[in-house]
Amino acid sequence: MANLSRMSLNKNNFYIYFLLFFMSYSHAQEVKSEKKDSIKVEALDPVILSATRTPRQLSSLPLPVTLISKRQIKQTGTVRLNEILSEQTGLIMVPDESGFSGIQIQGIAADYVMVMIDGVPLVGRSAGNFDLSRLAVGNIKQIEVVKGPSSALYGSEALGGVINIITQAPKTEDPTGNASFRVGSFSQLDANFNIDQKFEKLGYGLFINRFSSEGYDLTPETVGQTVSPFENYTVNGRLYYNFNDNLKLFSSTRYYFQTQENGFESQDDFFEGDSEETEWNTHLRLNHNWTDNLRFEYEFYFTNYRATESSESPVTNNVLFNSDFNQYLIRPEVRSIYRFDDSGTLTGGFGYQYNELDRTFFDSRVNFNSQYVYAQWDVNLIDDLNMIVGARFDNHSEYSNQLSPKLALRYDISENFALKGSVGYGFKAPDFRQLYFDFTNSAVGYTVLGYNVAIDKLTELQDAGQIIDVVVPLAQFDDPLKAESSVGINIGAAFKNEKLTTEINLFRNDFKNLIDTQIIARKTNGQNVFSYRNFDEVYFTGIELDATYMWNDNLRISGGYQLLYAYDKTQLDRIDNNEIFTIDDSGRTVLVERSDYFGLVNRSRHTANLKVFYNLPKIKTDFNLRLIYRSKYGLFDTNGNIILDTFDNSFVDGFVTANLAATKQFGKHFDLQFGANNLLDYTDTNIPNINGIQLFTRLDYNF
Amino acid sequence: MKTIKTLRTLLLLAFFIGFTSCSSDDDGNAPRLDIETVTVSNLFAPQTGGQGQPVGGEFTRFNFSTGMQTTSTTDWDIAFRGTTIAVNGGTATGSVDEPERNGNAAAVIVDGTLAGVNSVDGLTFLQDGTEGFAIPSGSDNGWFNYNFMTNVVSKIPGKVLVFRTRDGRFAKVEIISYYQGAPANPDGFNDTPRYYTFDYVYNPNEGETTFE
Repeated sequence: MANLSRMSLNKNNFYIYFLLFFMSYSHAQEVKSEKKDSIKVEALDPVILSATRTPRQLSSLPLPVTLISKRQIKQTGTVRLNEILSEQTGLIMVPDESGFSGIQIQGIAADYVMVMIDGVPLVGRSAGNFDLSRLAVGNIKQIEVVKGPSSALYGSEALGGVINIITQAPKTEDPTGNASFRVGSFSQLDANFNIDQKFEKLGYGLFINRFSSEGYDLTPETVGQTVSPFENYTVNGRLYYNFNDNLKLFSSTRYYFQTQENGFESQDDFFEGDSEETEWNTHLRLNHNWTDNLRFEYEFYFTNYRATESSESPVTNNVLFNSDFNQYLIRPEVRSIYRFDDSGTLTGGFGYQYNELDRTFFDSRVNFNSQYVYAQWDVNLIDDLNMIVGARFDNHSEYSNQLSPKLALRYDISENFALKGSVGYGFKAPDFRQLYFDFTNSAVGYTVLGYNVAIDKLTELQDAGQIIDVVVPLAQFDDPLKAESSVGINIGAAFKNEKLTTEINLFRNDFKNLIDTQIIARKTNGQNVFSYRNFDEVYFTGIELDATYMWNDNLRISGGYQLLYAYDKTQLDRIDNNEIFTIDDSGRTVLVERSDYFGLVNRSRHTANLKVFYNLPKIKTDFNLRLIYRSKYGLFDTNGNIILDTFDNSFVDGFVTANLAATKQFGKHFDLQFGANNLLDYTDTNIPNINGIQLFTRLDYNF
Repeated sequence: MKTIKTLRTLLLLAFFIGFTSCSSDDDGNAPRLDIETVTVSNLFAPQTGGQGQPVGGEFTRFNFSTGMQTTSTTDWDIAFRGTTIAVNGGTATGSVDEPERNGNAAAVIVDGTLAGVNSVDGLTFLQDGTEGFAIPSGSDNGWFNYNFMTNVVSKIPGKVLVFRTRDGRFAKVEIISYYQGAPANPDGFNDTPRYYTFDYVYNPNEGETTFE
């Protein structure tokens, strides 16, 4: 209720502000802007780091890459990484059946997407999903998204792609940076401070962010909010020191802390508690030029992610949940980059990774370690034909070794037109949960056991007289659980001239050995014991289209579209064998045909976006409108046949969200921004990560 | 009272019956009886206990030859109590208030559509006993799934319950709903459970193992 009235108030204020805004423009006859034309700057060829681990011109890459510039982030007024990513073609934020949201790339779930800052991975996932809202975007130079398997460079997890956040390096002796304050609906407050400075040898960067919100509730009829009130802090300090021209040090430390309330009242009880997340990242890198052609990078990385959650009643002492999750990753790595005079660049590296997790529902602290080595050759075979070939070998303590090759080619037919193709292998190691979980649901009584502890724990349950019968041969646990793997193919074409940039990409990713749960035993309480097993084979295939048209220096229109087919091959075979049935509208069993099979849950056949960026230099103002469309998708099977078919009733209809922002520059230093996210006020109780219309205004001081 | 009605008579069946009676029944026996698909609606199968308490209460008995619910302790083929289905064959499983088995009924679950199960040849029938019911009880085990989040009992599609009756004839059953009025999407907290609606096909001809 309180939220509602506040919202409508905000809405009114917003319209008034907007009106004032426009009126002030029409009267303002300012001198022609001296602002550097940043559209042109952007048109200068941007450089991508993630695709090859070397600086590489975007326009010459043989791989499908999405680049998001700092300018785009600023113009759209987004403050967290999930917001800006979900506006890009083929990238959507999806809440899955666990209730956590993650990113989907080419239909591939968040579990298989690696998230990095400056080339080092972040840990700490909830049911496989990486919470991208953990990442503030205030000190980002650019965001790079490489689609398709990238395990040849990055190892485990990089099946669907990698997201790499590149932070801003200091450039000038005068300190540059900004301080901003943003207020939005749902009591959203975002405060940013950012400063960079570079002396002859020493440079530094400091970024501080505080973000908070009262959250929102899409289901007021049930107890508890959809998103509870929270506040979080990010501090990132970076230090750059050049010992000499040939030896340069980079170090970065990031700290993130969030606290979120878990208290709520139910009919007969009330609960108190909160969720806390803490994350540390420390990244050290020494760049060493041995000769003009050979350089080394020595890197050390440490990260710790900890999440604690509790919710209990002080009156009845009922405990709703109380859990702890504490993960460490340590990774030293050495890379060398050798530039041949006339035959390309050879990159090689080796490293060691130590990963440790201590959490509730594990018997003890567990750890993995792995050693890896990789090499990549990036070469122009002939003038217009570029090739990147590489492979990585991972030796892991818990599963069989992995060799991940990759090959990519680009042929420039003319100055404007190029063909690209790549094929690669990707894998994801079984995670800690799949190997070591020991969880019994206290309310319902089912049990989930990790693969490596299943037999021991099952024996314990049997000894305790809780098992009626074991329903699978236990010999299946003799061999270690295999890594999930995929082969991804991307074939595309790119066309570019002064005004138009277009790209088409056909993709296909075939996954095998997907890990899923299976029933291994029946309990005396009527519930089941579950464990994990490799069995599913799925594929994701489709087409991506992207086009940007520069109408003139001040008007840019871009559009994107993704067509996606995502199916489980095992289920397709079962359908072909007439083994899958569904229930028709009269309640009677009918055979499922291929045309009845909707495919994997949470996948939309069509996703699209349309964006207009308009700049009015006369009044130093820019506007943008972004429309994002997602077609119908299903959440889960409702009629007991495991698959999503046309007779299920968990479908969410297609929808459009519209985001709008306008920024006016005042003098040399100030920017004032107004915006509305989800302008059409679209909500659905099935989509917990989309709340109602959010209005915001931001004042930015740039120096 | 239970309303028992014929929903659809398979027209093709008549043709097949005519065909088979011409070709095989040429020794002048009694005329072959018709096989029909019948829908039983809202057969109430109450139980006591549950939710952790011992389950009890009298089973609701059903007779395929009359197509009616019955109170007879001998002339019944199958019986319902909550989600549990008993057959009049074998012995009691050990739960309280079970009916005495005095026939030779048995059951087996076959994957398919009701129309797709045409013969009992090759099927292995089980009877109730101390090992459990011939139609396995429990969620995701026999004919239904129970979702504790929504509190809904829903049938597993493609499960045809094939019965041998107490006197050696055969019937096949598809359960349609467990809720009163057979709502398409039952609400586990508001709709009334333990009301069976099901389709069955009964072959009254002794010695026949097909449903055609």
